[in-house]
Amino acid sequence: MKKMILFLMVPVLFAGPLCAQKFFTKTGTIGFDATTSSSPEKIEGKNRSATCVMDTKNGAIQFAVLMKGFAFERALMEEHFNENYVESHKFPKAEFKGKVKDAEQIDFSKDGTHTVKVKGDLTMHGQTKEVETTGKLVIQGGKVNANASFNVKLSDFDISIPGLVSDKVSKSAIITVACTMEPLKN
Amino acid sequence: MKRKKIVRFVVLPLLVIIAGVAFYIYKEYNRTHKDTSKIKPDYEVTANSLLTEFGSNETASNKKYWDKVLRVEGPVKEVLQDDKGFYSIVLGDTASLSSVRCSVDSSHSAEAGSLQKGTIIAVKGICSGYNADELLGSDVILVRSVVDQKK
Repeated sequence: MKKMILFLMVPVLFAGPLCAQKFFTKTGTIGFDATTSSSPEKIEGKNRSATCVMDTKNGAIQFAVLMKGFAFERALMEEHFNENYVESHKFPKAEFKGKVKDAEQIDFSKDGTHTVKVKGDLTMHGQTKEVETTGKLVIQGGKVNANASFNVKLSDFDISIPGLVSDKVSKSAIITVACTMEPLKN
Repeated sequence: MKRKKIVRFVVLPLLVIIAGVAFYIYKEYNRTHKDTSKIKPDYEVTANSLLTEFGSNETASNKKYWDKVLRVEGPVKEVLQDDKGFYSIVLGDTASLSSVRCSVDSSHSAEAGSLQKGTIIAVKGICSGYNADELLGSDVILVRSVVDQKK
């Protein structure tokens, strides 16, 4: 009888980590690239403290990032980004709330690579716009690696480029997302 | 005689001014970020009190701390390194989900790598705000952080 109980308990004990429903990270990387072919150099900032949560059951995915956390190589570029473009003192946060399509068909307990469609609302500079892209989910060793990039028109977010540099800075930015999410234990 | 005067009083000073402006633009354009370890902090706080302050009034705290240099003291909860080699120091109580998360300035990575969990340290960094999250715990984020050596 004791053996029987033990036997019955085994799947219960292992069920937790195997079927984690939510994955998260607080150290996701989000890139912002507004380089054009006529830019004299790369106009690129990286934020390495993005929060991301994904619910594997319904595919809900959410990102949050603090604008001031974008690091640019040049101090002047970073100041311009914060003060003139995204006005991070007024709009300190950017957010994405969306869904991974057909997430319920992915087996998150098995290693593998899946190409997925992501659609949702991106809020930046006080404006919300719907964005859609194709991303990649790599499941490896119980962790989920999420990678995606999408193009946003800066004017959609009410971000204007001063005339003086309008040919040096792209009218649209490429936002890249790269994060390794761990199972959320609760 | 007249020509010499023009050169002396008009052309030469003009050249000096142009050179000065060009030099200033060049310097400004190439300016790098100040090393946080060399900046005097605007505020000195403990991780717990900073989190409590942000938790009770985010707007007021943002006004007070945002873009300011903070020296935050607290126990090391975790030291994380991402796949590109960048470190983050997580300060706060292990019992609480909330923490002060400090992205370490890449030129100061070595100091972060040798930290031990549980030791009380001070980190100097620039406050980029507060990420409130009920599920994951709310965090105060510091960027370009350095470990502040005890004086």
